[in-house]
Amino acid sequence: MRDLLRHPTGLAGAILLAVVLLAALFGSFLAPHDPQLFHPATRLQGPSASFWLGTDQFGRDLFSRILNGARTTVAFGVSATLLGVGFGAMIGITAGVVGGWIDSLIMRLVDGLLAVPDLLFTLLIVTVLGGGAGHALLAVAVAFTPGMARISRSAVLSVRTREFVQAAVARGESRAYIIGAEVLPNALGPLIVEATIRVSFAIMLGATLGFLGLGAQPPSTEWGLMIAEARQYMFRNPWCVAAPGAAIAIAALGFNLFGDALRDLIDPRGRR
Amino acid sequence: MSTFSINRRQVLAGIAGATALPGLAEAQTATPKPGGILKVSHSVRIAQLNVLQLSGPAEYLAVDMIYSGLTRLDPQMKPQPELATEWTASPDAKTFVFKLRPNVTFHDGSPFTSADVVATFKAILDPATKSPARTVLDMIADITAPDPLTVKFDLKVGNADLPVSVAHANARIVSAAALKEPLINLDTKANGTGPFKIETFDGSRLLKLVKHTGYYRPGKPYLDGVEMYLFPDLAAESANFLSGAMDAMLEVQQADFKRIAAAPGVNALRVPSGRFSNIVMRMDTKPFDDIRVRTAMAHAVDRQMLVDLVLDGLGRPAKDNVIAPGYRYLADTPEVPYDPAKAKKLLAEAGYTNGLKIPLICSNRPAIRSQVGVAVKQMAQPAGFDIDVQTIPHDTYLANVWRKGNFYIGYWGMQATEDAAFTLLFTTDAAFADTAWNNQEFDDLVKKGRSSPDDAERRAIYKQAQELMVRDRPSIIPFFQDVLTASRSHVKNWTSSPLSRTFYVEDVWVQRA
Repeated sequence: MRDLLRHPTGLAGAILLAVVLLAALFGSFLAPHDPQLFHPATRLQGPSASFWLGTDQFGRDLFSRILNGARTTVAFGVSATLLGVGFGAMIGITAGVVGGWIDSLIMRLVDGLLAVPDLLFTLLIVTVLGGGAGHALLAVAVAFTPGMARISRSAVLSVRTREFVQAAVARGESRAYIIGAEVLPNALGPLIVEATIRVSFAIMLGATLGFLGLGAQPPSTEWGLMIAEARQYMFRNPWCVAAPGAAIAIAALGFNLFGDALRDLIDPRGRR
Repeated sequence: MSTFSINRRQVLAGIAGATALPGLAEAQTATPKPGGILKVSHSVRIAQLNVLQLSGPAEYLAVDMIYSGLTRLDPQMKPQPELATEWTASPDAKTFVFKLRPNVTFHDGSPFTSADVVATFKAILDPATKSPARTVLDMIADITAPDPLTVKFDLKVGNADLPVSVAHANARIVSAAALKEPLINLDTKANGTGPFKIETFDGSRLLKLVKHTGYYRPGKPYLDGVEMYLFPDLAAESANFLSGAMDAMLEVQQADFKRIAAAPGVNALRVPSGRFSNIVMRMDTKPFDDIRVRTAMAHAVDRQMLVDLVLDGLGRPAKDNVIAPGYRYLADTPEVPYDPAKAKKLLAEAGYTNGLKIPLICSNRPAIRSQVGVAVKQMAQPAGFDIDVQTIPHDTYLANVWRKGNFYIGYWGMQATEDAAFTLLFTTDAAFADTAWNNQEFDDLVKKGRSSPDDAERRAIYKQAQELMVRDRPSIIPFFQDVLTASRSHVKNWTSSPLSRTFYVEDVWVQRA
């Protein structure tokens, strides 16, 4: 951890992440106003003493809405990634450990899915399932699965031929034990790094879906949806687009920088 | 024609008087200059040009230029002569005789006769054509042509509104020869009698029209051609209009209207209309079977604030009466003030002492539905309504909620007649009945008003019907939304109408500096 904070990217990422997590955990208590309360007399206004980031088309306080939306947005990114990592790791580790023609078959299928860009894949799934926050989350998780499967398989392959695994095999341990106790703990590092970086993509995908009207729905305070709703008022109060946009950028950047630093630290070649 | 034109302008409330009014004065005094091309932008695709079937906002503008009907509505919603020059009704309003305009030609040069009118109406009445005009014309029992310039309508029941009904946007006259071909040909080809004819049509991008030199009004149209450009992105559409690349915008978004109206060299028009968004409360389900709950909801909505917040002030508060100012037989019904205390009391009397928790379903298209939902949720909170706004995809809404759910947001356009407005949602046999009001007294009044040719008698009957409607409150109609359009100041006489069906582009001319 100390190494991470000494790393300049890591420090920046950790600070941004701390801000975002603080907002996600305590945002609703910190918000100066009710995020859904209308202030009809002060619609579409710029920042002021009582409304720090201005107000939207209903006169709702943008700062309170962003704080309130942090939990939805971050929770979306983290849980979509966890689901994706879970599915992907299961597929990848199975393929890596079992090997043979099953491995080839799974990996060719995964390669096929990898050829489809993430956003396109997500849109396809949401279009089939129908919109809504739950479906959007599932779609992002499914879109992440093939990539995570490939990464976890390569992690497993690099571990599988190591001496301690061969020792376990020689001891006559069961296959489940070998996967759970020997392979998985040693393959976890790259998975965690990849997952951390992926959270930022998940947040951006979630915001994109919200923006396109396929994710969270009004009156939710999800940041992408806030931008979509405010877009037609952009010329009258640029803050209602800029503020949630900056919030998305901070959250995505935080996870991304943190993940980058984490990778540098775990990769032995990157270490000085 | 000139007095008619002035009348029309009077009802169009121009915003930003300083910019709009000089333009108006000039339009009335200056002599129209022939020539020039008008470029119009729109944001919804022209999917087809089959005048008997289409229903898109830009499609209505296209067919208003390409085709003409027997009559056409002026902004006071009175039928004006088009292909028919005059008409007479029998005293019981069951037989109508229309005299047709002589020497009218189609775009291909063939003459227009009563045979074309008969063929068109027969096609509309055929259910296989799937024409939206059929619902307002299905009282026609038979249509015959005694001579080439006369048509006679025999109705099943008396209907004094027939001259208005034949002005329906989907009841414009198609040539009998075109109707002999497969109907699908009408999707892309058009042979009408209107002021403009098709040059190129690309549904994904552009519709190019050129002047029909054989148009029956001498000297019209002034323009050499009209080009309609599709801009799926609203921001791109207003940017192109403001930069001068486009001469007119078919529809301006509320959020953008003030900015566009204030831009130099722009005439922005607000046309008061009867478009509305309503809160549907199905009366055969709990809790809305209790009039006290419905009345509580009515008093829990601040209508003026809704107009200010959702419509940006570009509309008028309504009183749950579907008949908007602008219809011919509007009756004055009482104001519905915002009174959360009264609403709370009514809810308590109905047995909801701790308030009422209920989900309100909004389709995601158009966005105004969920905006109304979100606003109503906030306004109704002090009255004890705990509304959970659920925005769902439009397709899901159509399949699972519309006409099935008991609490959702509807969105409807203005109708041409009181009869059409009543039979759209509110009578027992209404085309899109979703209130479950099913009031026999109301049904009888609507039926009686329909066949009454006497103006005063109709007014009295429709007054009773409207009073019944606000008494029972089958749904909450909180506001009427204006139609918004804009043109550059070198474009003269550009206009729209409360129904957004007639645009009078043949009167438009351009004067570039």
